[in-house]
Amino acid sequence: MMRTIEILLVIIIITAAFIISSFFAVLPIPRRVSPLNLRRIALTTLQMLDVDHDLSEIVFKPEDDPAWGELQIALSASLPPNIVYNLTVYEVLSTGGPELYRFIKSISNAESLGIGSDAASYLVASSNVTFNVIPEKIGESGVGGTLYILNCSDARGWWITGYTAQSLAQDLYNLLSPYFKTPIMVNNTDQFARILRGEALSGETVQNAVVINTFGEAVPIPSEYCKSPYWNNNYTYYCHFLGNMTRLYNWTWASIVGYPFYYVSNTASLKDDQNSWGIWGMNRTGQAGVTAFLQGLTNKEYSYDSGSIISDVGVVTLSSQVLENCNYYGIYPSPYQTSTRAIQKSKLSTYTNLTVGLLIFDEKSQCYPGALYNHWNGGRIEGSLLALGLTRTPDVRLTAVGLLSYYKPRLYRSEYTASNATRLVVLQLGQAGGV
Amino acid sequence: MAGSTIDHLVSVTVFLGAILIFISLFNQTIQTAILYQRHRYLATKCSDLLDNMLLNPGIPEDWGKSNVTPYGFGLQDPEFTQYRLSPFSLMRLISSSGEPVYYPRTGKYYSNITMGWGNFLLVSFTESVNYSTVAKLLGVNGSYGFQLKVTPLVTVSISKVSTGTPLKLAIKVAGSGFPLINAPISYCFLIIEKGDKQYPSFRVISNMTYTGATGEALVTFSDVHGENDSYALIAYAHFSGLIGVGYYNHVTVSLDEYIVPFVDSFEDKRVILAHSWAVHEPGDKTSQSELKYNATFVLLAEDFTLREMPLEGNATGSVGHVVYGQGSEKDYGVVTIPTYNPGILIVTYRKSATEYGVVLMPWGISSMAFPIVFGDDPSGKEWVATDIRQVIVGNVAYQAILALWSLEGYSVVG
Repeated sequence: MMRTIEILLVIIIITAAFIISSFFAVLPIPRRVSPLNLRRIALTTLQMLDVDHDLSEIVFKPEDDPAWGELQIALSASLPPNIVYNLTVYEVLSTGGPELYRFIKSISNAESLGIGSDAASYLVASSNVTFNVIPEKIGESGVGGTLYILNCSDARGWWITGYTAQSLAQDLYNLLSPYFKTPIMVNNTDQFARILRGEALSGETVQNAVVINTFGEAVPIPSEYCKSPYWNNNYTYYCHFLGNMTRLYNWTWASIVGYPFYYVSNTASLKDDQNSWGIWGMNRTGQAGVTAFLQGLTNKEYSYDSGSIISDVGVVTLSSQVLENCNYYGIYPSPYQTSTRAIQKSKLSTYTNLTVGLLIFDEKSQCYPGALYNHWNGGRIEGSLLALGLTRTPDVRLTAVGLLSYYKPRLYRSEYTASNATRLVVLQLGQAGGV
Repeated sequence: MAGSTIDHLVSVTVFLGAILIFISLFNQTIQTAILYQRHRYLATKCSDLLDNMLLNPGIPEDWGKSNVTPYGFGLQDPEFTQYRLSPFSLMRLISSSGEPVYYPRTGKYYSNITMGWGNFLLVSFTESVNYSTVAKLLGVNGSYGFQLKVTPLVTVSISKVSTGTPLKLAIKVAGSGFPLINAPISYCFLIIEKGDKQYPSFRVISNMTYTGATGEALVTFSDVHGENDSYALIAYAHFSGLIGVGYYNHVTVSLDEYIVPFVDSFEDKRVILAHSWAVHEPGDKTSQSELKYNATFVLLAEDFTLREMPLEGNATGSVGHVVYGQGSEKDYGVVTIPTYNPGILIVTYRKSATEYGVVLMPWGISSMAFPIVFGDDPSGKEWVATDIRQVIVGNVAYQAILALWSLEGYSVVG
């Protein structure tokens, strides 16, 4: 009998355990088992209502404006019939007080959102608010500040396939003119000759200027330099002269693509010459051009050297510094480019006072695919060369971001001072009916 | 001694019986809990999978505008962020709602997203992406089944409410079972011009109206005969960010001869214009039939008017003729759409001096707010989780609904 009583006790204990566990192990209601993601529906509904900025306009209208009624109709029409909602608009306060938001208006299609709801918030800015960025002008608080863009109508380009030098010049002007005190288009080789003589074209400072050659591997040559001694060794001497002038005026000479100074071009004076590829008005200087320029830049005597200083290094990557500046200036060229005209480091070792001022592309295979080189005379810079040894066709945004990364003009973003400019829209959704 | 033995036997029997009953009871509770867990997991998976489809453009990004099979699946428009879908990626999904159409002249099957007579969207299977490929790309092949529905949020339905002249058409605009009151409707009415011209042309009447208290608007065309003329109406309702599209077309007589456009190549933007009799081959038609057509591509401008874009030059041009029943004649016409911006291909055709017609084909599903149903059928499945997102396809408001179910069973005895 004792055993039976013991078993009965055991049964009572297990029954109690079952009842207690069943009491605490409450299974969720069916709606929670397979819920709609109400938060996502709310967010995507708000985004959809604001696709043409309609929501942004309505929430800034007076509280008795009929547009609120339209918003309610649109909300009801866009949500499934079993979804109840409450849309509340708050004003974001910028007074610095303890209160962050102030209630503006609420619209709803039900008194209650049921036992479970979820919400998404969406911040909208008034269309009256404008955001403005004012760039610092290079040369504004110091020397220089002149940007010369070679746009010579009487010269031809090479390795700018698909573009004209003039179209590239215009693109560069659009990109860089906000950052320079005096941006100037050099429209013909006569004007180019004037700045080579140190004469200003429109009152600008020739010294410390930036000169961008948009002609690719060719460089414009004024007619007055189409003579001896500049034509020595197929105008290699002219390239030496350009290096000298770059040093003398402390210019930053920018070559946008390919092998710098490979050709010289003047459609009038060199009309009977062609670059060996059938382009007339152009003379092939060859590999000696850039060497002569570097000699001039570093104040070396002219010495003809036709040896190559470049290598084909394939795909190269923008340096981390330049990548960061892409974000800062909002210029986004592809970070991966192909370089077939990278300058060999070893070839630069002969110019002891020439250093790399900025790596535009990371060094690869002991070569610089794109860099800005400074010539130092004692403690100061006298002339620089920006050379992008990339394969055609040129992306002028690389030149722009390279120059901006070197000069680092600051961007002054306008203060966000407009009052009542931001409102917070909260859409809370619940499911109606059933459990 | 005997009493003790009996006591022992009774107690052991009762104990074993009680244990069996309790095991069964606990088992029920545990099984139910496991099922709940699995269902909840399925719902989470459904939400994640839907976001995965809608928030990435796939690989390559422009697979919707090419003939390649993607190796990463996504429907987001690569030119935008958030829930904006590519109208062309959606076009490349093989529809599970319409019966595939076989066109013997090309020897290909076409995915059928046609929305009633005269509003065709037939995409070559070889250019389309099928369910099993997408399931593999999403990593759910064999483990989950799904169906993706992308349906327009705003329904714009058009019906003829008159006989003879003038023509009166009622346009009804509604959301999810809720009429849109005072909604502006911009419409473009295309009427086929009869005349001696060899190839039929059309003129466009663009105007605007508003829906009334019932969400309906009535438009009247005084010089159009509702039965004897051929015409089409395309209406755009736009209301607080919601845009919906509706369409209606009518041909002069109940011709069973008409032009059927087939999307032949996305990459080349090539559309085949076929004679309808040839689509049903081997058919019962023994006679010869010729249709002359005039194809026009129009884009929807920001002010909701239609802007014509010249079709790209090709061998046949935008006008031509297709013949059924004569071997040496041209099988089908070919036109090349000039752009990847969503628009509508309008093909007017003429059989005789009094028999005209018009068919429409969206280039990008959003231009005519075509819905897409892609994937397996969820009916009859044990437990189906669904989730919803509001999306934009080419500025038109859509709702994306994903239904997901497990293919692996639940391995519980209930």
